[in-house]
Amino acid sequence: MSYRIPMGPYHPALEEPYKLEMFCEGETVTDATLHIGFNFRGIEHLAESRNYVQVVALMERVCGICSNIHTLTLCQAMEQLAGVEPPPRALYIRVIMAELERLHSHILWAGIASKLMGFKTMFMSCFALREKIMDVLQAISGNRVNYSMNRIGGTNRDISDAGDVLAAVDKLESEITSTVIPIFTTSATARSRCAGIGILTHERALSCGVVGPTARASGVPQDIRQAAPYAAYGELDIQGTVETAGDVRARLLVRALEIIQSCHILRQALTRIPSGPYNTGDGKIAFAAGTAVSRAEAPRGEIVYSVAWKENSRTPSRIHVRTPTYANMPAVRWMVQGARLADTPLIQASIDPCYSCTDR
Amino acid sequence: MTPFEDISRELGSAIPWSQQGGVHWLAVDPSQIRMVADAMNRLCARFVTITATELSGEEGLLLEYLWDLNGELLGFRVRLSGKAMGSIFDVCPAVDWIEREVHEGFAIDFAGREYEPLLLRPGDKAGVNLREVPA
Repeated sequence: MSYRIPMGPYHPALEEPYKLEMFCEGETVTDATLHIGFNFRGIEHLAESRNYVQVVALMERVCGICSNIHTLTLCQAMEQLAGVEPPPRALYIRVIMAELERLHSHILWAGIASKLMGFKTMFMSCFALREKIMDVLQAISGNRVNYSMNRIGGTNRDISDAGDVLAAVDKLESEITSTVIPIFTTSATARSRCAGIGILTHERALSCGVVGPTARASGVPQDIRQAAPYAAYGELDIQGTVETAGDVRARLLVRALEIIQSCHILRQALTRIPSGPYNTGDGKIAFAAGTAVSRAEAPRGEIVYSVAWKENSRTPSRIHVRTPTYANMPAVRWMVQGARLADTPLIQASIDPCYSCTDR
Repeated sequence: MTPFEDISRELGSAIPWSQQGGVHWLAVDPSQIRMVADAMNRLCARFVTITATELSGEEGLLLEYLWDLNGELLGFRVRLSGKAMGSIFDVCPAVDWIEREVHEGFAIDFAGREYEPLLLRPGDKAGVNLREVPA
């Protein structure tokens, strides 16, 4: 018998509102359509009425999980238009913040994925670990969610005690590698729940243009930190994490490996951080007319900011944000085709969707 | 031959590429965007996004198509005087949602495709220019 089953916009399996409308034959999903926009806020349009200081604060609020990467990417684009080059120390601080944010985001996702797998104790362990990462972020920035670290020409705050942060990262890595990683990589529960479901083939991943861990789990070795290095990433050793199976387990493994990779990058950045100023000061900023495009590797994949400015204007004439979830979401339709209905909450969660980013 | 020369030759474009704001830009005619998409597919470039901008006065709209080719951003600028543009969804499925978003936000009609279901505004199938909708 054929059914049409809506999941969302408000559903226990979804952290934020969106709607996955599934067409089923018995328990098997034959096709699906996706609807977003339930939280559309018109932030891009609002940005056109904000000056170059206000717009950084505004765009930080696009997302509550990866707020730092939004301002980093925006500031990089505005720095191109203003001809401002941040000092080397600021570039390292940006890397440290970005990797701590990736750790926090991946651990948060691991907790949610555990909950959807029916692994409630793992959910609690992940959220306890996430609190510790947020403590480190708070110790650096003074904030737990919107860190306000980035500004045109560098950062707003310094990392005065890199040794303390390094010790915290070492401790976190030890805890993560003894709890989260072994369970996600070797546990029979995780394997039986995730292997072979929600497959996104390599060819489909390429045609859909998916990014980040979703792409890397389908054998697409795409990472902006390596392909087009920004901040201080060009000076650091980054090893790609690629899986080829394209299923939920592959996406789980890629993120597990990226947690270790982030600790590796953090250790390098914290030991090599150069001394000197962490911003260029408060000089008057003049923007050249034109468009600048900046990209960064957010926890969910490539984020793109296109910023246009008019001569002598205090406000941008256009800011367009292409968030990673926006590129990844359409692929969910292909992932759920042929899947069992009961697996669809976990499948849609496996791209680590952020509807706050998507709806802007 | 570099990819840039290759693309220019294919489009029959004598306009030189320019580099600004981290992107290699080429101005193209609206009718050439399908050829651009085909060329990008052949080069295995990854589609990134479309940025639509409303220009001042009667200048119309500017569409900026971006592709990633081995870590380099290639941008194609299309000036639109009207509200119609050919869709490239059939040759580049990755444009699906962004074409829909531009349709809904700027009322540009990408010909040759369907728009249902809408992303940002419930109800009407027609795109609207959100900038002209009173808050």
